[in-house]
Amino acid sequence: MKITCPYCGERDHREFTYRGDATAIRPSIDNTSLDDHQAFVYDRKNTAGTHRELWNHTSGCRTHVVVVRDTVSHEIFSCEPVGPFAKQLARNVAKLKGAGA
Amino acid sequence: MAEIPDRISPLDGLFEPGDFGAVTNSPGVEYSQRLCGALVQVQAWPGTTGKVEAVLKQVLGLPVPKARLAHMKDETILMSTGPGRWLVDDEMEGLEEKLRKALPSDLGALTGLTHARVVISVSGEKAEWVLSSGIAMDFHVNAFPGGGVQLGHHHEIGVTIHRLGANHFELYAFTSLAHGLWHWLTHAGAEVGYRVT
Ligand SMILES: [Zn+2]
Repeated sequence: MKITCPYCGERDHREFTYRGDATAIRPSIDNTSLDDHQAFVYDRKNTAGTHRELWNHTSGCRTHVVVVRDTVSHEIFSCEPVGPFAKQLARNVAKLKGAGA
Repeated sequence: MAEIPDRISPLDGLFEPGDFGAVTNSPGVEYSQRLCGALVQVQAWPGTTGKVEAVLKQVLGLPVPKARLAHMKDETILMSTGPGRWLVDDEMEGLEEKLRKALPSDLGALTGLTHARVVISVSGEKAEWVLSSGIAMDFHVNAFPGGGVQLGHHHEIGVTIHRLGANHFELYAFTSLAHGLWHWLTHAGAEVGYRVT
């Protein structure tokens, strides 16, 4: 399985750390419902099919990316930068594609 | 002030000069090591990248390289290692202090790595072949040209690689894991013969 890092280019997935479901949103700090917090921490759908998930390029540039992956075939459909440098990285992706990397 | 002891490389004692491995007319790869006078990581905050670039340019007298590239001048190497992030290698001590004065913490974060890395030079006709055998990245010059910088790992040992030319690389290795990396390099180089200088 290969993941295309928006900074480094295409790399082996072992350089990345799996950071979990990208659709799980932490409840607001004002939300005192234990059920909501419990759901955020533990409840996952365990999807067989297309899954939106976070990965971090730990052995590379340490950028967080959202990967859309088929959990059955491991086919990767997209890999987008997230976080404060996402815009800057998106411009880099265009250059990476131009360079054929 | 207490006297600062001489710096010792983590590879001292292992780095034995000579020719090893396959016997040929000339070794396929040559290894040497060096310690940086100063090695500093600079990380801009989101939104201060442009300002940090201006400071780096002014302090180092070097144009700031684009993503995954390095610029060199005299004894200074400026490498792009991530979004808003650079690694500065200088043969002279005192660079960290100079940068700290020029870069207040509202512009970015500085991390002194001088004592945290050892630089292993890998050169020779088989340099690319040797590195490709244990680091899963595209070493073809089209993907990783001379003057390029890539971050990767060899079996969980993180390494920053600066390609100086087609057949010359410098590996910035963690001092605490340098033994492991060196051990692998000796095995990987044995097949083509390696010279330690
Ligand atoms: Zn990366």
